[in-house]
Amino acid sequence: MTPILRLDGVSVTYRGEDGPHRAVVDANLTLRPGATLGLAGESGCGKTSLALAVLRLLPRSARVDGTILLDGHDIERLTWGELRAARWTSASVVFQGAMHALNPVRTVAEQIAEPIRLHSPERPAAARVRARVTELLEQVELPGARRDAYPHELSGGQRQRVMIAMALACDPRLIIADEPTTALDVVVQAQVLALLRRLVSERGIALLMISHDLSVLAASCRCLGVMYRGRLVEEGPARQLVATPEHEHTRALAAAFPTIGDEGSRYPGAGEPGESAGGVRGSLLAAEGVSVEFGDRYRNRVRAVRDVDLEVMGDEILALVGQSGSGKTTLARTLLGLCPPNAGTVYYEGRPLATSGRELRAFRGSVQLVLQDPTGALNPKHTVYEAVAEGLRVHGCADDEAVRVREALEAAELRPAEEFTARFPHELSGGQRQRVVIAGALVLRPRVLVADEPVASLDATVRGEILALLLRLRRERGLSALVITHDLGLAWNIADRVAVMRSGEIVETGPVERVLTEPRHDYTKELLAAVPSFEGSVS
Amino acid sequence: MSAPPNPTGAAGRRLAALAEGWRVYRADRGGLFGLAVLSLVVVLALLAPVLTPPAELDVTRAGGAPLRPPSAENWLGTDESGRSVLLLTWWGARMSLLVGLSAAVLSMLIGTVVGLVAAHFGGWVSTLLLRLTDFFLVLPALVLAIALSTVLSRGVLTIVLAIGVTSWPQTARLVRAQTLTVETRPYIERARALGGGHRHLLGKHVLPAVLPLVFATTTLTVASAIIAESTLSFLGLGDPAMISWGSMLKSAMDTGAVTAGAWWYLLPPGLGIAVVVLSFTLCGRVLETVLNPRLRGERR
Repeated sequence: MTPILRLDGVSVTYRGEDGPHRAVVDANLTLRPGATLGLAGESGCGKTSLALAVLRLLPRSARVDGTILLDGHDIERLTWGELRAARWTSASVVFQGAMHALNPVRTVAEQIAEPIRLHSPERPAAARVRARVTELLEQVELPGARRDAYPHELSGGQRQRVMIAMALACDPRLIIADEPTTALDVVVQAQVLALLRRLVSERGIALLMISHDLSVLAASCRCLGVMYRGRLVEEGPARQLVATPEHEHTRALAAAFPTIGDEGSRYPGAGEPGESAGGVRGSLLAAEGVSVEFGDRYRNRVRAVRDVDLEVMGDEILALVGQSGSGKTTLARTLLGLCPPNAGTVYYEGRPLATSGRELRAFRGSVQLVLQDPTGALNPKHTVYEAVAEGLRVHGCADDEAVRVREALEAAELRPAEEFTARFPHELSGGQRQRVVIAGALVLRPRVLVADEPVASLDATVRGEILALLLRLRRERGLSALVITHDLGLAWNIADRVAVMRSGEIVETGPVERVLTEPRHDYTKELLAAVPSFEGSVS
Repeated sequence: MSAPPNPTGAAGRRLAALAEGWRVYRADRGGLFGLAVLSLVVVLALLAPVLTPPAELDVTRAGGAPLRPPSAENWLGTDESGRSVLLLTWWGARMSLLVGLSAAVLSMLIGTVVGLVAAHFGGWVSTLLLRLTDFFLVLPALVLAIALSTVLSRGVLTIVLAIGVTSWPQTARLVRAQTLTVETRPYIERARALGGGHRHLLGKHVLPAVLPLVFATTTLTVASAIIAESTLSFLGLGDPAMISWGSMLKSAMDTGAVTAGAWWYLLPPGLGIAVVVLSFTLCGRVLETVLNPRLRGERR
């Protein structure tokens, strides 16, 4: 049987302003019909370049060396017309970010029909196209009634299904899925992965799936490959690669996706009270019966947070978990005093939150925010020093500014601090940027840190370092943290207590060990079941 | 021991950014041409009192015969009172530039403040300011300017005011849009969580991000302000005692220079307006591409 895809010594080189940049170096791969291969790696490791090279979709500045055989044909030798025919009929792509890959002004049925029309030799009958689209929609488990919907009327998971239906339209023998579930939350991710698994096994399609998340790949692919700095460093059956990783980078990737319930995945110090506790053990920041409503553009009232009670104690890390849209971020903003509650009260150290400017400002000195995307959270025009000193300047403590900035940078493990002060955010790596954001919060000597998805946009290896930093800050400074996340593994890694949120309500609260191993609420069970795990991987 | 802010490093980087901007600017020939012409015009206009005798502008002391074509003595001929048209054009540049620049600065100030406030505070403040902006946007600017200059006393200040008050809405709209974009950035949220007030947010984060755009637009506004000034002077709403390109054209009309075929009286101020406006537009366009890298590929 000829392999559907064979890569022989493939390198991708980009011409850049500062000389050529080798994105992929000497990659060798073989994919037989019906095989599933997962390519894992951090951002910038060249995995997307490799996938796009298969269909010659790379920009002009890229040069591809080596041979790529798609269905036995060297794709470099194909004429433009042959290449067009090969795209979608031999291999199709499920792009990252379904919202941007779909045309917002056409219905999904029209978009699914587009490749069918393009690849028919003569104009196909409208009724036949219609029937085929209905069939495709059925295959991806979308109700036929949604065929005339526009992309913005669909949820993220439904849009991703439309993308998959499009990829299937011309019966390709290979599907390349580039981060197909990255923007989705766990429950929807589990559904999309199950769908892909089913289609692959039913129709004998080969699947090349790309992700930064090893557990997602392990759950849907038989073979795994790990890329690091443009090279394929390790390749093998999923089970074996995850259980006994050989390359240290594979080990780092595997460690970033902890097995919930496994004591070894808990970071040292998690769940134990700190020794140098800053004092109080009682409630630091609390919400009582808090509700928040928004008016949407149709003047409907949307209740983002409903009657929530939540307490952050001194010297503890509390994880607030839930799907996207469950109101976690709104609740956090309310706790920070950035968004006034419609009902209920927020207490800090037992006193209701002030509404006047001066007292609110003093409060904000003690409760600090760390945002999800460190790139956006730093003003690109400010140096690291200015970014960290900003809080001090706002609060008018200018006397020992330089000393405190230095202390904060060192506390955030940016050492030596002098090396970083004059740099601009774009000169730092993602992990360093997040450390600067944390330093900017620490400089005010806060009591509570509210971290909204602090590691969601970071690479696997950096993720561990930032989480360890949060734990160390708690241990050494007694700094409490409210960590908002969709990632139950993160909660298992570092948190003492967990609060599970659904549609604006807290459905379950308790110690991490209890909630994540013996969940009581159905929703918690559902979330836990949706976490991709290595046990669930196809064998 | 303590870490200093290391000003040399940061300043050095800013200098480097400036040098990079200049490199991009230099690559555009039109922009360089505009800049060269503008520098020449500005230097000549500033040096006019030094290089030429102001007394020659006095009608009672004018030496030549009225409405003479160009000759060795008067290179660009003479006007109806026997004054040198070259001298008039030279001095007229001072007025055109002065009014153009100050009107553009005035419109920039109003536009920036209105745009920033409307976008930052939102709510009824925004509604009120936006309706006001819309009102000025749909009002025929020339009619309003004429009305203003008839109500107020005649003079340079009135013209500046009339142009400034009618040309700010575009800037306000632009600044508002840019402010709205900047305000969705997470670093604004972070600054708010740090306890920063409105002044801190606007001064430290929003204004620096919006200013480059404002400068680029202002350069373009200068061009239209110079045209507006000429128009108003031509319509006789300027200060009759001051010489400007618009008022030159008006007196050319009034004294029958057009019917007499005195092209040398009409062309210099007309070309002056065209060249200066074109130069400002060229500079403004290139400045836009320097500040907004996304435009670079398309314009080359």
